[in-house]
Amino acid sequence: MPISMVFRANSINHTPFFPNPTKTHFLSPQNLLHFYKKTPLKNHIGEFSCSSPGPVVVGLAADSGCGKTTFMKRLTSVFGGAPKADHNHQNPDSNTLITDTTTVICLDDYHLLDRKERKEKGVTALHPRANNFDLMFEQIKALKHGFPIEKPIYNHATGLLDPPELIHPPKILVLEGLHPLYDSRVRDLLDFSIYLDISNEVKFSWKIQRDMAERGHSLESVRASIQARKSDFDAYIEPQKQYASVVMEVLPTQLIPDDTERKVLRVRLIMKESGVKNFQPIYIFDEGSTVSWVPCGRKLTCSYPGIKFFCGPEAFFENEVTVLEMDGEFDKLEELVYVEGHLCNVSTKFYGEVTQQMLKNCDFEGSNNGTGFFQTLIALKIRDLYEQVAMGNGVGDGVGVGSLASTK
Amino acid sequence: MCVRPVAAAPESISEKVVESIKNAEEKCSDDPASGECVAAWDEVEELSAAASHARDKKKESDPLETYCKDNPEDEECRTYED
Repeated sequence: MPISMVFRANSINHTPFFPNPTKTHFLSPQNLLHFYKKTPLKNHIGEFSCSSPGPVVVGLAADSGCGKTTFMKRLTSVFGGAPKADHNHQNPDSNTLITDTTTVICLDDYHLLDRKERKEKGVTALHPRANNFDLMFEQIKALKHGFPIEKPIYNHATGLLDPPELIHPPKILVLEGLHPLYDSRVRDLLDFSIYLDISNEVKFSWKIQRDMAERGHSLESVRASIQARKSDFDAYIEPQKQYASVVMEVLPTQLIPDDTERKVLRVRLIMKESGVKNFQPIYIFDEGSTVSWVPCGRKLTCSYPGIKFFCGPEAFFENEVTVLEMDGEFDKLEELVYVEGHLCNVSTKFYGEVTQQMLKNCDFEGSNNGTGFFQTLIALKIRDLYEQVAMGNGVGDGVGVGSLASTK
Repeated sequence: MCVRPVAAAPESISEKVVESIKNAEEKCSDDPASGECVAAWDEVEELSAAASHARDKKKESDPLETYCKDNPEDEECRTYED
């Protein structure tokens, strides 16, 4: 009966592709993989009608050392689900992060040239020449349509391309790397995308912190590395900004005059007003107006330098956007709850959910400032987007079906 | 709010980082604008990122760290800021 079949398709434990592997021998995993590798996808996509919707696909673009991994950890924490233990038996150097609900693919796996080849040819990983966009597109398209893929592995330890690993379509597929928004075909497959835009001063400060524990590095070597990569970064990575659903800019604070420490940060969340299905921007107090808000005062006492918020409409690369900005640091739990209570369109399932997530992951980088706070907000928006898509495709009762478990 | 100690990355990756920096400095002393120079510093960045991830992975598997995450008030897990 159609309704119950679709219900089953949307349940938490459903394996999206093979409803009856024993009955239909032709569709067994081994045969399908063998079959998929040899024949082009377009001849067969009409023959396999998938009874369940494919994954929601999210792209996350950022330069190396800019917080993608931390962002991924926050995302997977909000979506819930335990990491899959058997995944790394295939290849311990796999870059893929897999939980019950989410698969995160590192786009370095689509490098066309390995480290040695890039060195010989004088090409950086930032350059499109170093990446196989055709394969990226074919494989993400396959996953989106419910087919498993044999995805290459770029081994960061050896710098070589290892034999492929099998990836099944998940509920939520995240593509993180330098170029998720570069190729227009891949862009069209994305349901949501984020660009992490770290300003030069902050990037320098973060890389110093990251690299000073390593022998061989000095201030000069960190600076030289950033400088050398800048031209390729400006040419190939930065232009992706205009396509993202949300851009998160990280800048030096304006609260401390002549600050050089770069510990206190000003973070701006630039959210598209239209053009992103199932997504409405977060705002303070009144949608569309310009609001400047200092929560510290009579009800809330904050330590220096305090916290300052701003929200307002702007234009960004010919798009109308809402900008939500936070400058400063959280010092106490009550500040976090107070601020959460005054934001609108946050898509939480209960009051205090943002604060709870921030506390749960308080050892992650940026947990006391706008980076962690806004990343958590974005993760909740993506969860909301997923649930809207799942509700739209399924005939569920609206409760539990197609929804990700809210973490307690 | 939370304190995080720093440990070094595994030897092999650290060695690679050191070598790659030397290599980049050499390549760039001839011609700072060349593809080789730029690619060499890109390799430094890639290896530094890998070293950083290796450090984090090592930290995550420290049994004391894992225990203290759930029991911060225990004697062994106390931290002092002077």
